[in-house]
Amino acid sequence: MKGCEVVAEETVRASSRASARGDRGKRKKKNQIPIAMVIFAVISGIGVWLGFKEDTLLLYWLLGLAFGFTLQRSRFCFTASMRDPYLTKSTSITRAVLIAFAITSIAFTAIKYGYFIKGLAIPGQGYVVPISIATAIGACMFGIGMVIAGGCASGTLMRIGEGFWMQVISLFFFIVGSLWGAHDFGWWKRTFMLKAPKIFLPDYLGWLGGLAVNLLIIAVIYVIAHKWEKKHSDGLSH
Amino acid sequence: MAKEVELDCMGEACPIPLIKTEKALEELEVGDTLIVLIDHSCAMKNVPEWARKQGHEVELEEVDDGEWECYIEKMK
Repeated sequence: MKGCEVVAEETVRASSRASARGDRGKRKKKNQIPIAMVIFAVISGIGVWLGFKEDTLLLYWLLGLAFGFTLQRSRFCFTASMRDPYLTKSTSITRAVLIAFAITSIAFTAIKYGYFIKGLAIPGQGYVVPISIATAIGACMFGIGMVIAGGCASGTLMRIGEGFWMQVISLFFFIVGSLWGAHDFGWWKRTFMLKAPKIFLPDYLGWLGGLAVNLLIIAVIYVIAHKWEKKHSDGLSH
Repeated sequence: MAKEVELDCMGEACPIPLIKTEKALEELEVGDTLIVLIDHSCAMKNVPEWARKQGHEVELEEVDDGEWECYIEKMK
């Protein structure tokens, strides 16, 4: 009997809500399929053109499209992963980012190790850059900026693609900032970066050790993130 | 009689809709419904998630392409 009452109550609630919505909820959506077909044709056209120019360009194009699509559909947001633990105490996106980091750590180590055992030059070592106080300060500035702007680099691009025009402003200043940064990069490099240590974990701990330490750090942050969310949601139910 | 209050967050980027929702809900009585209008895909995710975690009744409806109405009934 109790179950029935709950169902009845739900129905009343639902119908009252439906009436409240009135005609607003019944707006007819535009058919987006023609637009989708035009965009698909344009994307394919650009792909064919790039493919004829150079194979790698086509690959970059496809990977970029796949990345953007995944980012949009999954509502993956690096900004939210850093912001929500403070704001809503939710760490679901934080943990998703950590899992992504763990997977890429394993994959990149595998790729690099593959080149290493064959005696080839390890790819991507140019991205092993020195860490200094500038890294920490820059990270904090970027963090503040992305929360105010409502998105990091990929997030901003994705939301413009979705048609959220306000973030064109973010993109504009993102470009201004990037150009400014590039302009003064030489000074930053001479003043801070070259004096700072450059650490590639496998050089110090071996390939397996480096990977293990990396994964261990990620695992520790994951556990903390999980506990953080649990602690705060437990507090609410009491 | 339970009130229904509309909160217009159109054009507001994350996390503004969430903060506005949080503040608007504080003003309401238990049983009142807050209707949040959003057009930011990130807010469409975190507003309902936050409200559900707080223990409120939440319903989300896409009323137009890229526009959502989030119904939050204050439960406590």
